[in-house]
Amino acid sequence: MSENKLARTMAAFFSPANRPALFAVGLLLVLPPVAAVVNTGTDDEARLPFWEIAGQEVSIRLVQRLPDQTRGFFQARGFSVADSELIAQGCVFQTVFKNLSPATEPVRIEYDLREWVVHAAGAQHGMKTREDWKKIWTARRAPQAARLAFEWGLLPTRQTYGPGDYNWGMSVFGLAPGTPFELDVVWYQNGERRAVRVQGMRCAADVHPAP
Amino acid sequence: MNTPRRQFLRYAGLSLWFALGVAHAAGNDAAQTLQPLAKPFVAPDFTLPDDDGNTHRLSDYRGKVVVLNFWATWCPPCRYEMPSMERAHKKIQGEQIVLLAINVGESEDRVFEFTGQYPVTFPLLLDTEGAIIKKYPVIGLPTTFVIDPRGVVTHRAIGGREWDDEQLLARLRRLLKP
Repeated sequence: MSENKLARTMAAFFSPANRPALFAVGLLLVLPPVAAVVNTGTDDEARLPFWEIAGQEVSIRLVQRLPDQTRGFFQARGFSVADSELIAQGCVFQTVFKNLSPATEPVRIEYDLREWVVHAAGAQHGMKTREDWKKIWTARRAPQAARLAFEWGLLPTRQTYGPGDYNWGMSVFGLAPGTPFELDVVWYQNGERRAVRVQGMRCAADVHPAP
Repeated sequence: MNTPRRQFLRYAGLSLWFALGVAHAAGNDAAQTLQPLAKPFVAPDFTLPDDDGNTHRLSDYRGKVVVLNFWATWCPPCRYEMPSMERAHKKIQGEQIVLLAINVGESEDRVFEFTGQYPVTFPLLLDTEGAIIKKYPVIGLPTTFVIDPRGVVTHRAIGGREWDDEQLLARLRRLLKP
């Protein structure tokens, strides 16, 4: 290619007409890659809908639980019918929080449920944590075995995960069965804040089969 | 305590246990990691009964590597890792490594029922009041601590692992070397 031809090609490439495209390519090069996407579907094990934040180093899957499952679980652990109903009517999900980073490139992942926000019907509220529930069970005089199962069955309020670490735990969103909602999920990767609003979530309906 | 009914139930669940273990291992892509603790600490001592009525004091295992697991029967990842703990227990027979799994807050009958489906031969200790788990920095179940022969907690795993993984076992064996 002659010098003249090269100069003409360069001039055409950087012409004002091409500037928007060049700007877009430049942006792609300087912006960090998309941290996480939200997938939805049916959980293989629970056979119920899930919403999942999926990134390279993190996976946060929220799986619906049926009110009847929750009633059965907590009654079997010693809660009264009234207490288990209080939980079951509160929109319970099973949350699976995983650190997927490899040991060779470890990423520290942390979260604090007190930073998560539930949006429903134009209002918003925070998550009720183990500590909040502890006060409720003390006031309601729930049996010790039931309280222990509840405490350890709930997703921890705060946690720090190294590579390969994960937890399963229940999350109670404080909404009536069948309510649609959105959830702001916040976590930290090596101290860097990440946040995703999960849209289109819905509490499982309280289905009572006809006799 | 080892009645024929109890033995029958333990071994009747062998097929289910094996199938679940294989199925889970096949689908498990998690790294078999152990996190070294930034601040190792002396393992709080305790004395607890197991599901066979024997008593275990942690300090009696001094000189050995202890894998101390906190679990509950209702916790799915706790159940998933149990078969691999049993396989690991069989692999390390005769070595100075012991597995102790502390059930949190459940009755002996509930644990006994569980062993009908998940037969294990290492000790399942009963922390029925949840008093011992409070002495350890456990935030979620399952959590497992590795205690070195001096009685110091050096590593931790949050969530289940495939405990019979050779690399993981090699890390435990390295702790035996002074």
